[in-house]
Amino acid sequence: MRVEYINPFVESAYSVLKEVLNCQVSRGELYLKSTCTPVLGVAALVGLAGDVEGRILFDMSKDTAIKVASVMNGEELKELDDLGKATITELANMITAQAVTKLHDLGFKFDLTPPAIFTGDNMEVTTAEVEALIVPMIIPYGKVEINVAIRERI
Amino acid sequence: MSSTMEKTIVREGDNKTLLMDQGNLPAKQLKQDFKMVTFSLGGKDYGIDIMKVKEIAKFNQFTYVPNTPPFVRGVYNLRGEIISIIDLRIFFHLPVEKRKDGVENGLILRLEDYIIGIIVDSIDKVVGIASEDVQPPHPIFGDINVKYISGVVEYNGTLYLILDVEKLFGKEQTAQKAPSLETLEVSLGAKPSVGVSPRESFPTGQTEKDFIRETLKTFKSFHVTPLNERWLDERFEQWRSERGKQGRDLQIKSAEEADDFLQTFYSPYSDAVWPEEIAESFLELIQELSGRVFSVWNPGCGKGYETYSVTALFLKKFPDAVVKVWAMDNDLLAISTAPNLLFQPETIPSYLLPYTVKGKQGVGITTQLKDRIFFEYHDILHVNVVPECDLIVARDLLSFLSPADQAKVLDEFYDKLKPKGILILGKNEEPIDGIKWVRIPNKHFSAFRKNIE
Repeated sequence: MRVEYINPFVESAYSVLKEVLNCQVSRGELYLKSTCTPVLGVAALVGLAGDVEGRILFDMSKDTAIKVASVMNGEELKELDDLGKATITELANMITAQAVTKLHDLGFKFDLTPPAIFTGDNMEVTTAEVEALIVPMIIPYGKVEINVAIRERI
Repeated sequence: MSSTMEKTIVREGDNKTLLMDQGNLPAKQLKQDFKMVTFSLGGKDYGIDIMKVKEIAKFNQFTYVPNTPPFVRGVYNLRGEIISIIDLRIFFHLPVEKRKDGVENGLILRLEDYIIGIIVDSIDKVVGIASEDVQPPHPIFGDINVKYISGVVEYNGTLYLILDVEKLFGKEQTAQKAPSLETLEVSLGAKPSVGVSPRESFPTGQTEKDFIRETLKTFKSFHVTPLNERWLDERFEQWRSERGKQGRDLQIKSAEEADDFLQTFYSPYSDAVWPEEIAESFLELIQELSGRVFSVWNPGCGKGYETYSVTALFLKKFPDAVVKVWAMDNDLLAISTAPNLLFQPETIPSYLLPYTVKGKQGVGITTQLKDRIFFEYHDILHVNVVPECDLIVARDLLSFLSPADQAKVLDEFYDKLKPKGILILGKNEEPIDGIKWVRIPNKHFSAFRKNIE
């Protein structure tokens, strides 16, 4: 993945999480993963198109997702209901949109697809022919892994 | 506004957040357990832990010391004590503004082992912060290698990078050896060098060579295969005589010794701009290529010096052609500095000069050249998405992969190369499956073309 893309995603993930959750956020070590990635439990997926093609996956455990949704809504959620799912979707949207705005300022033109959310156990995501950059974000409610797989159009 | 203050304001206005750690809030505001001296370097703000700073000083009249690295400005007499003075701007390749009066701002640092002086642009002030507000360094800071930065902190709206001076100037760990061991090594190591013909010592030589293979793998993940075996054989003989003279045995016992052994392996200027002589050699090599659109793949590009040299030379040779370069590395720190690499004006060779531009931070590369290069953070063992290439530059890369991966990547190079394309490996490397490749004679490069029958 182009190095120019990395920073906007790391920055917006950090600032959005910090702003909406109002808590301590720290970033883990970035690393690369090959095509196949196991998913922790709840995954929000946003597609990208334009100068590049690819997708961004926001991956967290169900427990973390419920806690994050509770804080964002200002009420205690017992399970990941429609409201909870919509909240996580919105979080994914906010982070991606901010990153894409930053990239736009740098001269890269991307479009977003509406986010989709996947829940379940033992899921795996395979993106053929693209390696993924993993940005782990550690918040008090657990870990949110941002899995960015973008490639240039050749 | 400091981040703690910001938090308080948000908390007061926002009910839902009150349920979180409000208890320790007042303590956090008061706590200032870390003080640092702040200063500027190349227009950015930095801090150094005050416990490491002996004093703030103005330096004039250094005594120049010949044969030192360029960042050592000389020695200085500090009230009878002689200390070395390091210019941090030169150290980090930042632009240096010459002062008319010759007086430089600086700090005297007290490190664990010695006292040292550093020169900076200007000293700012001393600020107190809470050490918990210090954030880990971000890998993409550009100017200064992130391993020398211990953290980042915001104070009064300014971000300060905190330099880790022990890492910068601290003594390298040198293994202390007991004298008894030294004498033992002398008696052992002297043997092979004194009049024993290579044939007679062959059996021991072989075990020692095998041992070196193993230790190179352990310390530097350098794998000896037919790719670099020829070099190893030569180097081993050299090593034997070197070590014999020093009265040391042949074994490699640490990463430093492994580095020492590998010294002659690395290709020249793989981590620097190519000088004119190498450039000439490269131009000769690529003159056989033809076409209007060229794709170049440069895996293991590191900080990008090699990539910029290759791209600029391509444009020199084929001014009207479309050149696209895919440059990749799995070292995030190195690759993230690549797009904004800065150069010392005096080190820029003539072919690169048209593509440099003077910016606020120093001399950088123009977008005209940069737009032709994709710098990617990528692991070559994952899927490689590159088009068919005219040239692949992969110097000193394969030797650091496992034997199976070496073969796999070489096969991939073969597949991705156009029929008349050129593969450049490290100075001391050659393809494992020799029959598939033909060497192109060249003074400075180990270059190959596909063997098409």
